Amino acid sequence: MNTGKKTILASAAAAIVAGVVSLNGFAASIISFNGPAGEAYIGKFIKGIKATAKLKGYEIEVYENQFNQAEQDQQVQQVLAAGKRPDVFIWWPSDAVAGLGSLRALHRTGVPVLKINQLPNEQDKKYIFGYAGPDDALRARNAGLMMVEAAKVKEASGGKGFNVVAVTYPQSYGGYGLSINAFKEAIAGSGLNIIGEVDEGFGQANGYKGAAKMIAKLKDQGIHFVYGMDDAILTGAIKAFEEANYRMGEDVIAVGTVCNGDRQLIEEGKQYGTTLQSPLHEGQLAIKLVEEYLKNGELRNYINFTPNPAVTKSTMETTALKGYDGKAYTIEELCSGAWAG
Amino acid sequence: MNTALAGGGVDARGFMQRHGVKVFVAAVVLLFVYFAATTPNYLTLFNVKTIIRDAALVGIMGIGLTFVTLSGNFFLLSMKETAALCIIAFALGMANDYGFVISLAGALAIAVFTGAIQGALIGIGGNPIVVTLGAAGILYGVASWWSDNLVISYPRPHDAEWLGTGSVLGVPNITIAFIVIAVIAELALRKTVFGRQVYLIGANRSTGKATGHENLSMAIKVCIVASVCCAFVAVAFSAQLSSAQANYFSSEFGSSGDFTILVIATVMVGGNSIMGGYGSTLRTSLGAIFISSVDNLMVLKGFASGARVLSVGLMIVFSIIAFAYLRRGRRSEG
Repeated sequence: MNTGKKTILASAAAAIVAGVVSLNGFAASIISFNGPAGEAYIGKFIKGIKATAKLKGYEIEVYENQFNQAEQDQQVQQVLAAGKRPDVFIWWPSDAVAGLGSLRALHRTGVPVLKINQLPNEQDKKYIFGYAGPDDALRARNAGLMMVEAAKVKEASGGKGFNVVAVTYPQSYGGYGLSINAFKEAIAGSGLNIIGEVDEGFGQANGYKGAAKMIAKLKDQGIHFVYGMDDAILTGAIKAFEEANYRMGEDVIAVGTVCNGDRQLIEEGKQYGTTLQSPLHEGQLAIKLVEEYLKNGELRNYINFTPNPAVTKSTMETTALKGYDGKAYTIEELCSGAWAG
Repeated sequence: MNTALAGGGVDARGFMQRHGVKVFVAAVVLLFVYFAATTPNYLTLFNVKTIIRDAALVGIMGIGLTFVTLSGNFFLLSMKETAALCIIAFALGMANDYGFVISLAGALAIAVFTGAIQGALIGIGGNPIVVTLGAAGILYGVASWWSDNLVISYPRPHDAEWLGTGSVLGVPNITIAFIVIAVIAELALRKTVFGRQVYLIGANRSTGKATGHENLSMAIKVCIVASVCCAFVAVAFSAQLSSAQANYFSSEFGSSGDFTILVIATVMVGGNSIMGGYGSTLRTSLGAIFISSVDNLMVLKGFASGARVLSVGLMIVFSIIAFAYLRRGRRSEG
């Protein structure tokens, strides 16, 4: 083959490659494995991740599972079998321990993996290049400190030594231990004593059921505060207390976290406050870290938390946070429950 | 030669074969009574009300499902998804200021429509499990899409609050609704032509067909009853929270496990025949209360969620075995 022909072929090949790139038109590609959009928090996370990826010119494919590790494992196998090799995998395991095999399989492809939402553990650290997501401990600690502040106010009006009921995630859930320990540390020595704890499950219905049982068990001892491990659970718990004729905000003070509950409860004073954990931030932060990694080949910080400011009735109107896309977001945009205006 | 019998003793093996299940059930009941009596705050009026209130929503759905099971059409695996679509419809109605009556009517209309479609497909020969599994996906998908996966909220006060959070003489209205629905359902089964047809077709479909009672119309009717019960629960739950989301009935991580499985558990623990023709909505109501009682007792005893999910599973398994043996014993005696 002479030089002229080689040049023509090389030019044609380059043109084809260029054509493919321009047809694709994306700066990078991402595949994200996460829970279902039908869950309010994850639904907002997916919106955040997609919008920010679009802003950065990234192509993103999202695989949702119904809180089912077996389903997520199957999705991973399908993606790998189809030969899909994006620039980055985003990994939100349904069950971090049970999903370790799938994470290992993703890692073996040589494509870097960013873990989100659930803190890395000793086993999966070596398969990921970083973490983006909530700080369960800080979120719960801030809720504890908020409850201590509320207790001081109550103490000033004559009370002393307050009983707390905790309505929590299932104890088998990863965030449970971090949350309850941080909350207990925050209220230690404040005169707030946890007298009962129930791990009925996620969501309003379980919060209601768990709290109703705790009331039956502990009402004779006196219940003064209730801590909801997130606001959705707390929303149900507040209904149970109201049905048992407690005046929320007076007889019992409720503090939650995550900001995935009901805005009106805070407005009405039935819920003292919450600590913000925005799924929108979480999605944006994930893309920001992907961008940083693709640019530098590493992250400045291995662990990257979303902010968890405390929000009360007096601060909710003025709470706004800057997103990782540079825009300012109001609390309605950041929260994930019944918060739309 | 059996020396024990020859000597006038007791044939222990024969006794256990004949009465083993009854002995086992009696032992479980005694154990339950012992723990109930020795657990502080368990046998109080307040806690009894809590137990029945806790059983109410799942019990109402269980009552609806009982009609399907008694008619020999097994189960609907789309119970929680039907409720999901209805709760979104109701909440959207309330959020758009249509008021309680119109929003309720909208939710019920959807329940009747989706129930009728599923019933028709089952009635023409579709496998109930397969049909309703498919329907579950469609219904949940529509609910998610319609609500854009968001929480639909409507401001308090509103004209549905009486149902969700109201009470009469200290008894929550949802509990009252559970009792009223249980009584009406039992009367409908025992005292109406429709009820007797449910038993007839469930007990022997061929005989039913020979006497002019086709399963097609029966399947449509019982699926509508079950779906309407789902709609009622959806409306009551939304009225309580003043909001709705497609996944409100998806409690995969909950101590009760999956909502649909829990509804099926109320039917099974109540001792209704999985093959149809035998049982009652009263049994289902008691099944719901029994599950709630055990769960409540375990919480008061300090058990974590894992153990409580396990107990529901064990209750289903033992109920199926125990009631199957009891029925077999009764048939052989007859």
